This record gives sequence, C-alpha cells and structure tokens, in this order.
Amino acid sequence: MRRRGAPARPGGSAPYWFLAPVFLFTGAFLVLPLGFSVWLAFTRWNPLSEPRWVGTRQFEFLLTRDDAFWGTLGNTFVFAGALVVIGVPLALGLAFVFSRARGKAAWRAIYYLPQITSFVAIAYIWQFVLDDRYGLANRLLGLAGLRGFDWLSDPTMAMVSIVLVMVWYDVGRNMVVFSAAIEGVPKDLYEAAELDGAGAWLQFSRITVPIIRPAVVFVTVTSFIGGMGFFALILAMTKGGPRGATEVTALYLYEMAFQDLRMGRASAGALILFAIIAVLTVLQFRLLRERRG
Amino acid sequence: MTVADEFALEADADVRAATGAPAPRPGRRRRQAMGALKYVLLTFGALLMVLPFADTFIGALRSPADVFANPPRYFPSDPQWGVYGRVFAELPMGRWIFNSVVVTVTITVVQVATSAMAGWALARYEFPGRANAFRLVVGAQMFPFFLFVIPIFFLLRFAPLAGGNDILGQGGSGLLGTYAALVLPFAVTWYGVFLMRQFFTTIPEELIEAARLDGASEWLIFRRIALPLVRPALATLAVFAFVYHWNEFIWTMTITRTAPELQTLPVGIFLLENQFQDLDQKALQQAALAVSVLPVLVLFALAQRFFVSASMESAVK
Repeated sequence: MRRRGAPARPGGSAPYWFLAPVFLFTGAFLVLPLGFSVWLAFTRWNPLSEPRWVGTRQFEFLLTRDDAFWGTLGNTFVFAGALVVIGVPLALGLAFVFSRARGKAAWRAIYYLPQITSFVAIAYIWQFVLDDRYGLANRLLGLAGLRGFDWLSDPTMAMVSIVLVMVWYDVGRNMVVFSAAIEGVPKDLYEAAELDGAGAWLQFSRITVPIIRPAVVFVTVTSFIGGMGFFALILAMTKGGPRGATEVTALYLYEMAFQDLRMGRASAGALILFAIIAVLTVLQFRLLRERRG
Repeated sequence: MTVADEFALEADADVRAATGAPAPRPGRRRRQAMGALKYVLLTFGALLMVLPFADTFIGALRSPADVFANPPRYFPSDPQWGVYGRVFAELPMGRWIFNSVVVTVTITVVQVATSAMAGWALARYEFPGRANAFRLVVGAQMFPFFLFVIPIFFLLRFAPLAGGNDILGQGGSGLLGTYAALVLPFAVTWYGVFLMRQFFTTIPEELIEAARLDGASEWLIFRRIALPLVRPALATLAVFAFVYHWNEFIWTMTITRTAPELQTLPVGIFLLENQFQDLDQKALQQAALAVSVLPVLVLFALAQRFFVSASMESAVK
C-alpha cells in the first residue's frame, strides 16, 4: 500500500503504457457501443434514414404489445433452464465416474471433441444425424425396435433436440471443471466412508457434491447466463423454427436488427434481455450461496 | 493451479489407482461390479461423442447409388474418396481457409499481446486507478455478446475517414468489408487479461527487483524476464483464442454477408446451405464440414493440455 506523498513504486508511467491498448479498446468497443446502444433504444431507426427519437415507445411496444417477444422469452427460459437441469447433473455424475477411471487423457480428449468444433459444423452434423427415417439417430432407434422421432420438424421435439445437442456440446467441459474440483476433495474422506461401508452413491451425494459446491454453483450460473444470451447453434440448426418453437430472444432480436432493420427496437430488446439476465445472475448467486449453510 | 500441477495431480491419482490394493472387505465384489460399470458408462458416453462426427465422415463418402437405394445404404458400398478433392475444386475452400487463417492468427496474436501487457500491469505495479482497472476487467466479462452486435456494427460502418467516409463517418462503407472489422472488436479479451494477471502474480518479486537494480527498463523486464516465465499461460490463452475464433461465425457472418471475399470457413459453409438441395451436394457439404473440423482437431491433438487448462482456469477463480 502506498501512502500519500510516499514515492511511487518503481515503474513510473509504465503500467499506463502496458494498459494503453486495453484503455483504448474499452473506450472504442465497450463504453461507446454501450452508450450508442442505450441511445438507439430510444429511437426508431432503419439504417437507410435518420434515427428518430421516440422516447420509451420501443420498450412499451415490446413489453405490452409484442406477443412474439414474450414467446421468445419463454423459449429462452426453457432452453437455459433445461440446459442446467439436464446438463449439470449429467456432467457431475460423469465427472465422478471419470475421476475414478484410468486413462483420463484419452477420455477427456473424446469428451472434449465438440468443444473444438464450430456451431456451424455441429448444427449440420446433427441435422444429418437427426434427419428423417434414415438419419443415424432413427436408424439406431430402429435397430432397438423403437419408432424414431421427428427430431427437428416437430415443434416440441425441436426444442428437445436443441437442448440435447447443447448438453452434448457442453458436457465435456463441465466434466473437466467438476473433475478438477473433485481432485481437491481429501482422499481420506472417501476412505473413511468406505470403512463405514458407504457405497459409491453415498460417497458421491454426501461427500463429493457438498464439498465441490462452489464449482457446481459456478457451472450452474455460467450455464444459465450463457444459455440466456445464446443463439449461434439455434441460428445454424433450426433458425428458430419450426413455427418459432426454438426462437429464443437473442435470435429474435438479431433477426429484428439484421433482417427487419429495426435497430432501435432490437436495441431496446437487447437491454431488456440484459436486465433480466443481470437480475437473475444476482438472484442465482444469492440462492445457491444461502443453501450452503 | 498450473498445468504442471494438474498433471502431477492426475499422475498421482492414476498411480494410486494402479497400486492401491483393493481392500479385502465385504463390498469387494460389488466394487468390482462398480469398476466395470464405470467403464461401460464412459464408453457409452464416448460413443455418443464420436458417432455424430463419424456419421458425417461416412456420409461424405456415399455415392448417389447408396443414397437412392431403397432403403438408403448407411455404409457406402463404393467409398467416394474423390469428394475431398471436389470440395476444393467446386467450392472456394482456398479463399475461406486463407481468410480463416489470417483472421484467426491475427486475433490470437493481438489478444495474447494485449492480455499479457495488461495482465502484467495489473499484477505487478501499484498505481492510481489500479483497483478500478481491475474492476473493469472483471466487470466487463459480464456483458453478453448480443449487446454489442448492433452498436459495433454501426460504429465500424460510420468510422471516420475509413472506406470512403468523411470526417463525420458519412458517405462510404467505413470499416465494413475489411479485415479490420473482423479483428478489431476482438482485440482485447477480458478473460485473457484476467488469466494473465493471475499467472503474473506468481512470479517471485526478487527476480524483478534484481533486474531493476541492474538498470533494466520496465519493457525489458516484461519482455525478457516475465514473459518467458509464463509461457504455459501464453500457450493456454493462444490455443483458447485460436479455437474460439477459428469457429466464430455470428459476427463474421454479420460483417461479411455482403462481402464474400472476406468469408471464413464456417461462414462460407453456413451460407451455402441453400445450394445443398440435391442429395449429391449433401455429400459435398459433409466433406466440407469434415475439412473444416480437421485443423482444430490436429491442433487439439498436439496441444490438448493447454486447451483443457484454459477452461479450468476460467472455473477456478
């Protein structure tokens, strides 16, 4: 700690030079765009004409008259919620098994494959897998004697498919995060539990999960927040269809901006979505922290 | 936790698993069953991970005869290896790969440089405003990407004096249609600054002091002493940035929809979708996908530990 009047630590102006690129970037690509975005939200603007100030009309329209907007918010919650509800327990269980298996590098490499793939490739690869009767998924179900699904053409199944593909994409990374936390659990706890005759399930639920709770909170919150603003896979895979069943808010706003050229309204929508995410983030951290006690 | 630590931990656990004699207790048989079940589960999951990729590789090799057979054949009767050549002949793959390499490598180099410099300043200097600068780095990570697409698009469009624009940013197309539009918005990664700061705090102060006493300039200390000590972190960040931006497509597509000469691999393949109506073209698309996955797959095979450590670092804050 430097006292007022004491000589500065060696370095002089050096730290400011080291930080100069970040300061420039902050001005040009953080502060300026955010300010511009807020201003745009109070205008009506298709980029071919001059922006016109309309006050809070865009917010009012989206919140009170745009049923499609509310519909996409519902889809967004379903998507992000399902991602957490299905994805987190799956990754957690997998990490527990993985942490006790041998040949970790190989397993990890395999479960990591989707993480290094673009969402374009993932979307198309899965479109082929989930294709009609002769896609891989329905062929395999057929081998097991089961009737296949209309994975992407049925509105309900389309959302299920999107969630499953996203869980498939994320499970490897979450597994690695969880297994790192599991490595930190003292081994003698398991040994003591084993002496008392506790099986794998008891060890998992009574020792592993409570101790790595911070990692669980982290993955839960980041998955949910990430899911709320995510649309790359959906844009590439279903374009929000069929009949809007997978249209999430971020995708709706992207199309509003770059297809319908309603820049003002899309900016207002983005601010609303951001506000919702911010509130939920704070709430989630509070809830999950309190339950620890 | 450093990469080395992580590997030490893992080796440790493997050794323990290998040498730890099974305890002679009543649950022994059950434990053996559990041990087998463990690998059954992992193998099942691994199949689910790999099969979709395999499906695309196999699909690319199908001939029209396989596709039109009734029922369509899954395994190609006469694998069409030539499809990988056709991909390069019939699609502008060379252009896409060139753009992908230029954009991805530039972003990676710039991000590593800006992150290392800023991380170094935040880790090792005390200066007025440091606490706020650090708050900025942590806080900025919370703004989601979708907030920036519209405003940055138009800030680039109306960039003064670029692409035929006048000083007020009117009249031309600004930075749209240039590589700068693909690179500049990603010049700084807040996560990268944070990551580098964490690593730089672990360098012993004596090393820096000694260099300072020898009269080394601050830049020299950073360049010759600090940077070489955090090579694993630089590699981690570089691999992470490379993979992320090799695969990025929303921003790049938004910018290059009207500028095909700037499109990268994922964008090019994505925008082709409508041309893949007939079934023969489907094989071509599958082959293009396979080709687009290959470079990162190779990078991943060579540098897996750095990529894995990147997601670890983001979690173990």
